[in-house]
Amino acid sequence: MDGERPEETGEQAQPELAPEIEAALDDLGPAEEVATEIEEYDETAAAEAGPDIVVGTEPAPANGDQFVASDGAVLGQDFVIPGVGPDDVDPYRWHTGIKRDHGGTNAIEVIDLVKQFGRTRILNGLNLGLPDDQISMVLGPSGTGKSVLIKHIVGLLYPDSGDVIVKGESIPALSDDELFEIRKKFGLLFQDGALFGSMNIYDNVAFPLRQHTDKGEDEIESIVTRRLREVGLGEAHFKMPNELSGGMRKRAGFARALVLDPEIVMFDEPDSGLDPVRTALLCELIKEVHAESGGCYLVISHDLGTARRIADFIAVLWKGRIVESGPKEELFESENEFVHQFLGADVTGPLAMD
Amino acid sequence: MGSAWLTVPRDWIESLGEITRFSGMVLGQVFSGRVFRYFGEALSQAGILILGSTAVIFGLVFTIGLTCGVEGAFFNRSVGAPAYAGVFAAWCNLREAIPYAFGYMLSAKVGTGIVAELGAMRISDEIDALEVMGVPPVTFLAATRMLGAFMTLPFMYIAAIGVGYIASYIVVVEQIGDVSAGGYLLIFWMFQNPPDVMFSLLKAMAMAVVIVLVGCYYGYTASGGPVGVGTATAKSMVLNIVMVHIIGMLGTLVIWGANPRAPIGG
Repeated sequence: MDGERPEETGEQAQPELAPEIEAALDDLGPAEEVATEIEEYDETAAAEAGPDIVVGTEPAPANGDQFVASDGAVLGQDFVIPGVGPDDVDPYRWHTGIKRDHGGTNAIEVIDLVKQFGRTRILNGLNLGLPDDQISMVLGPSGTGKSVLIKHIVGLLYPDSGDVIVKGESIPALSDDELFEIRKKFGLLFQDGALFGSMNIYDNVAFPLRQHTDKGEDEIESIVTRRLREVGLGEAHFKMPNELSGGMRKRAGFARALVLDPEIVMFDEPDSGLDPVRTALLCELIKEVHAESGGCYLVISHDLGTARRIADFIAVLWKGRIVESGPKEELFESENEFVHQFLGADVTGPLAMD
Repeated sequence: MGSAWLTVPRDWIESLGEITRFSGMVLGQVFSGRVFRYFGEALSQAGILILGSTAVIFGLVFTIGLTCGVEGAFFNRSVGAPAYAGVFAAWCNLREAIPYAFGYMLSAKVGTGIVAELGAMRISDEIDALEVMGVPPVTFLAATRMLGAFMTLPFMYIAAIGVGYIASYIVVVEQIGDVSAGGYLLIFWMFQNPPDVMFSLLKAMAMAVVIVLVGCYYGYTASGGPVGVGTATAKSMVLNIVMVHIIGMLGTLVIWGANPRAPIGG
């Protein structure tokens, strides 16, 4: 055994070169020239030409194999969408994106909005126009980015790409000071009211007036009292927020959102955690106040009862994109499979439990 | 994978950078005068500080003053110079113990209080609500607290020094009684001068600024529900105690290290 081995290695160490290789070696010339040629290797040109062989990486997504977003990111590889499998080739097959005419001007316009948290892409190319002087509603299953959308509109979140235009101003492009200024036109009712726990109801509602106006205490008192009476909390002036029920907190939050007569009022799930009667009463209240003062109202919810009661304009949001939008009556009669399922609360259709 | 152990120090450096950035923002709002738009809120924060923290700070400082007095009296008795108890009492109180006691109590009472309050506001969307109402939350919540601290804490600290001195006097002169009142006070005042008081105040205010800023940062950035607020409170306490000692140590080193200002040997 020992005697055989050197012979074997000796044979392998000196293989006979094929005649073509020998000829090629002769063509190369001195070593220095070869080195210059290697240095002049053009990286960009090579990248454009693409690699000859790809070793050790996943195969590049061929069109039709995987879903590729508008910015070139690949679903399952670069990002995931809640409720969408990584192998879904066309998660937006139901998203016709049809915008039925609402017959007014747009107070809020959302253009190609993309927002990703870590690997999870919540909004993926959302386009939406919300009419002025109407109550609009964004409906959609849980976890599709409804609250994230609202936070973009008020400038609490900045988009990864895309734009939000409110009354002609691009929200992401505003400086901090301009943003604080434009926010005085907004009223936002948070899910749980977001009342200041250290102040009573009266001070909570008076807070925006005290911060942003030069009104005297008498005038403030008359406005606050009127607003609180409007939402049915005339007797609860000096109660602290933790002494109120969820519904009362929401109503107090509503009064606070309205106190500066905002042009745009937004409601983040006003009906969550309320019984049907209270929900109906709150809806009535929203309608009454809107009829009185007008402006662009946006309600985020997944409750169909609320939609039937108050909405003039409905947009259905799913998987971070609008499926369809339009006036309520037209949307309730939509032929779209998903819109039909969702607005009809049907168990069969594109939307499943997972 | 091999650098997994690096993530911990990397996270520390990252959050240190975040805290520095946030602190710069808050101090910028205070010194640029923007905070004066919410002067009423700053006044109310100052009031909360005075009403809520004076008694506990004085209480702790009084106890620490007693300790300094006891240590000073017995140590000087053991070396056969009981009349010089004032040396120990003066240095112990002014240079070390009172700043530390002040720092501890501020961390425990004011720092954690701010984290809990702002953290609760953060998780119940109140900070977002402020922002949506067009009120800049960093200015309204953090800068006003900083200004409130600037307005009250120097006076509170100077008064705390007095409380500590009284405690030491009581224990050395009245209780142990190895030295007469006049003898004690002669030595006691000989071993300190007004610049020492200013430096001591500087040390304490450096601690106070850090504690308020750290508290504001951890409260403002709290996340993850009530548990998250609890974690943030604990984290802020750890960082504050560490910072109090670093400031105390560096302060002594820089101010009294090279020049102890002791009237010994002419």
